Formats: sequence, structure tokens, C-alpha cells
Amino acid sequence: MPSFWSAALAIAAKDMKIEWRTKTAFASAIVFAVLVLAVFYFARDPTAVGALDIAPGALWVTFTFAAMLGLNRAFMLESENRAMDGLMLAPISPSAIFVGKFLGNLAFVGVVEAVSLPLFILFYDLPIVGQLPALVGVIAMATVAFVAVGTLLSSMVVRTRFAELMLPILLLPFLIPPIVGAVQLTSRILSGRPLSDLAGWLKLLASFDIIFVILCFFLFEATLEE
Amino acid sequence: MQPVEPALKAHGVTRKFGHRTVLHDVSLAVSGGDFLMLVGHNGAGKTTLIRVLAGLLKPTAGTVQRSGATGMVAHSSMLYDALTARENLAFHGRLHGLNDAALVQRILEQMGLAPHGDRRVATFSRGMVQRLSIGRALLSDPEVLLLDEPFTGLDDAAAVIVREVLQDLEQRRRAVVVATHQLVEVVDLATSVGFLVGGRLAAIEPVAGRDAHAVMARYRELAANA
Amino acid sequence: MTRRDRALVLARRGQVITGIALAGLVGVFIRALVFTPIERTQGPAQKIFYVHAPAAWAALLAFAITGILSLIYLWLKDRKIDSIAAASAEVGLAFSVAMLTTGPIWGKTVWGTWWSWDARLTSTMFIFLLFIGYRVMRGAIVDPSTRARFSAVIGIMGLVLVPFIHMTVYLFRTLHPDPVLLKPSSPSMPGEMLVTLLSSVAVFTLLYVGFVTQRYAIAILRDVREEAASAIS
Repeated sequence: MPSFWSAALAIAAKDMKIEWRTKTAFASAIVFAVLVLAVFYFARDPTAVGALDIAPGALWVTFTFAAMLGLNRAFMLESENRAMDGLMLAPISPSAIFVGKFLGNLAFVGVVEAVSLPLFILFYDLPIVGQLPALVGVIAMATVAFVAVGTLLSSMVVRTRFAELMLPILLLPFLIPPIVGAVQLTSRILSGRPLSDLAGWLKLLASFDIIFVILCFFLFEATLEE
Repeated sequence: MQPVEPALKAHGVTRKFGHRTVLHDVSLAVSGGDFLMLVGHNGAGKTTLIRVLAGLLKPTAGTVQRSGATGMVAHSSMLYDALTARENLAFHGRLHGLNDAALVQRILEQMGLAPHGDRRVATFSRGMVQRLSIGRALLSDPEVLLLDEPFTGLDDAAAVIVREVLQDLEQRRRAVVVATHQLVEVVDLATSVGFLVGGRLAAIEPVAGRDAHAVMARYRELAANA
Repeated sequence: MTRRDRALVLARRGQVITGIALAGLVGVFIRALVFTPIERTQGPAQKIFYVHAPAAWAALLAFAITGILSLIYLWLKDRKIDSIAAASAEVGLAFSVAMLTTGPIWGKTVWGTWWSWDARLTSTMFIFLLFIGYRVMRGAIVDPSTRARFSAVIGIMGLVLVPFIHMTVYLFRTLHPDPVLLKPSSPSMPGEMLVTLLSSVAVFTLLYVGFVTQRYAIAILRDVREEAASAIS
């Protein structure tokens, strides 16, 4: 009997290996991210709207929509050849499957973000010196939030007929608290305001993370059994 | 007489999907050394019964008790096309807490797949996939192996290997349950035969040296009386 | 009594409750239009409030009940609970639409803006979106027990989400106060207006109960018919 973490990590590692081999989802997500960043940059009146004003919103719309492109693939992987049966037959806890998928998704979205962020800084000519750690921290917290909910929802949505459409419909309401928080925090970080200004938003983001990661962890099993 | 606890025992198993009853009051028990052949038309509930016995479906009524691990081989391979044969086996091993490269190699050899160990499953023929799927199920050396139509679409060479595996399991006092309509392949190996008619187990009796024709005649007799 | 008969009795009771509620609604409307004083700053248009606020209340009630029943379903696994939760969600959807249409009409007439992103209004809009998601999800799944389980998951997640949305908008608003400040229900409401409001809330609650009862009865009848159909085939 494997330990909880060795099962979860084995699943995450397997997912990452497969994604690395095919690279299709990565490619789509990154191309999408670049396009969205560019569109936001050009879709404004440069004399009226500064790059710094739309940058936070552009960044977060990019991250979330690019991420949504990839969230479904984690469970679609398990539906070809009914590989999910293999996971269920193994002596592992269903929650280990959730954690494994969650970590795999986190890695996927993390890579997309790591590629988009430098492009974002470049395109929008952002004064990033010294603010990078705080920015990365905020990005990490918000990403954990939407990946946790996205992982849970995709495990259900993958069994329906219109998985690609259903995921955004169900996920978007859950994105409001973390993304609005992330945008507000990003905006203040980029304008160099002290973090004490942001205590309320940080608390919102942190509590959302804790509560939803735990909730999704416990609800996952209900999405599995037949 | 079997003094020991049966490896797998189903009692009064009923399974409905919505309002449709697919299995009705099915009871059976297998112990080490038993080889149960399940016979029935398509739609009689063979696949559902195998899935319930494996634990992938919960019975609507009735119980299934397992005293040991159960492995399953079905029409879908539960394998990942993008991974090699070796990687697939290693992953499933890890799901069972095994981290033994030598064991993986032995299984590949037993299944006649050693020369293809490092090729991706996507390149495999149907026969090779089926053999690898059986190898996957054998990795953890389960007490009970459930097989749903294991001979479908196999060439002769692959079928020979599958038969050898089944014989070996019987010799090692494992329990085997095979649902199939290719009776000729297993009738000489089976110790007992169960007849599924319209979701009910019309009879379960020793094979008693009957050949495939005799068994089919018995099936038709039971189906006519249902 | 067969299951079908019990469902018909339930439907009849629901119709009676709804009938009483509708009569009460007429009474409340008359009271609101004729016997309740006109609000000083907003004028007669303020009276939309007596529909808008109770509709929001009913939507919120429906949402909370769907959420709580979802929790209970995952614990007890009784399919009836899922049917009631789904009935509540459908009725809640209708009330949300009522709220979302009266809100902008009131806003535009009295304050000159169709929408204001205040915490209460925005939260209720998201409740509406969650109801839609719940319904779309249910429509996409054929197997009843899977549908019930997945609906329960969405129900619980939605219930936990709404306070966060409320908080998000509140934080946003304290940082970016709108020039137009909305106070849809002022605690310093004169007695007569409060009575009208409370009567309206009571009537809407009764309406909710009546609708859900009927909708649940219809769900049972549909199920009975499906059972009969699959028994024949």
C-alpha cells in the first residue's frame, strides 16, 4: 500500500510527463496568453489609458483564461482507455487522486504563468524592480485558489457532453473573489504602494485559499463513485 | 469443501441505472484455485457484474466482500498511450506501493513484450495492448483476477500468451473470473460456469468436463426457460 | 395510495398555498400602492422596492435551502432531497430574474443608473449565475444519481462562495466608493412602510413554498412516468 503522498506525487509526475511529451496544451495556452496580452495592450486609447492602468486586469484575464484551456486535460487524460478505472482499482485514497491532479494542474498553470509574466513585463514596460517577490507571492496565492476549484469542477465536467463550455460557466463565479483580490493587489504592488494598504485583500485571498482547498479536497470523492 | 474465507463473495447483488435493473439478486463466491467462467448474451449484465465485483460500481442492493486484492482486465486497457510500456507498468506499480524495476521487466517478459518495453503504447497493436493490460493487472499479484472479454480482437499468438497466464494463475491458487463468449478458449481451464440471463444468475455449476458446445446448449436451455 | 396519488395530493396542496400567496400578493400590492405613504426623496417609483427586496430575499432563501439540502444529500443520499433541492433552485432562479429586472428599473428611475455594484445586488446576481450553472449542469447529466451528486457539490460550493463574493464587493466598494450611494433598506423606515415590506416578504416566502411544493410534485410525477416507461420496455 503506497503512502498518500507517494500516490499523489506519482500521479502528478505521470501527468507532467505526459503533458511534456505531447505539449499540445502548453502550446495552446502560451500562444493564447501572448495573444490576449497583446490585444489588451492595443485595445485602448494610449493617450487616455496608461499601460499601468490596464496591466493588472490584462494579466489576470490572461492567466485565468489560459489556465482554463489546460484544466480539463488533467481528467480527460484519465478518460481515454478508461485509465481512471486503473486509479480507482489501486489501493489509494481518492483524495490522493485529487491532490495529484491538483499538483499536476498547478505545475501546468505555473509554467504558463512563468512564461507569460516576463512577456507581460516586457510588453507593458513595467517597473518591476524589487516588487517581483511580492508579485510572485500574490500570483501563487490566486493560482492555488482557481486551480483547486478548477480541478474539482473539471472532474465533474469531463463526464458531460460539453466539457469545454461547462467548465467556464461553472468556474467563473468562483474566480471573482481570488481574481478581484489578485488584480487589486497586483495594481498596488505595481504602483509601489506598501503592503499594509492591502491587508484586507490579502486576508480575503488567504482565507479563500484555505477554505476552498479544504472544501474541494473533501468534495472530490463525491465526484467519483458510480 | 473450502475451509477458508472465499477471496471474493457477492451476495444478493442488484444494480440499477436509473429505473433500469441490469443485475438482479446475483450471488456467487470464488476462492483460490477457482476458475469461474461467466456466460451470457450482450446486455445480460456481464460487464456490469465484473465492474461491481471489482469495486468500480457500488451495488444498488446486496454486498460484495473481498478478502484480498482484486485485479481487473477489461475492454479498455487503463493504460496511457503517451507513455511507454515500461513507464505504464512502473506507474501502476507505484500506485500499489511497488518500486521494482526487475518486477516490471519480469512482467514484460511473461507477456512477450520485452522487446517493446520502451516503445509508447500508442504504437502497440490491439493484441499487445491487451497483453500489457493483463501485465498491469498482474503486477500487484492480486488474489482475484477479473477479466471481461479478454480474447476479443486478439491474434493467435497473443491468445496463447493469455491462456498461459490464466493457467499459471490457476496453478498458483489465484481465483479467476472470466466473462466471455469465446468459450473455447477457457472451457478446459474453468472449474465452474455461471449463466447470466437477463441480469440474473440462472445457474452456477461445475463445468464437469463439458465442452464449449455442451455449455452453450445448457445456456440456451436456461435462456429459454427464463 | 400510490406514489403518483401522493404526488397529486402534494401538487394540490402546493396549488392551494400558491393561491393564498397570490391573493396575499394582490393585497400587498394594493396596500403598497394605495395605503403606504410615498417616499420623500424617491417618489412613487420607490414602491418597486416592495417587489424587488422580497424577490431578492426569496432568491436568497431558495439558494440557502438548495445549499443546505445539498449537504444533507451527500450525507443521507436520499434522492428525494435532491429533487427538493433542484425544485428550490428552479424557483430561486425565477425569483432572481424578478429581482434582477426590478432592480435596474428602480435604479434607473430613482437614481439614474441601471446598475450599481453594491455588495447585496452583486451577490444576488452571482446567485443567479450559480443557479444557471446548477441548471446547466443538471441538464448535461443523464444518470440520476450522478446528477444528484454533482448538483450537491455545486450547491455546497456555491453556498460557501457567496459570502466571499459579498466580502469582495464590500472591500472593493470601501476602496472605490460610488458617487451614488444606494441604501435599499434603510433601518430608519417609518412604521407603515416597514409593515408593507414585511407583509411582502411574508407573501413572497409563502409563494416560494407553494412553487417549490408544486415543482417537487411535478418531479415525482415525471419520475413515476419514467419508471412506468422503463418497466414496459
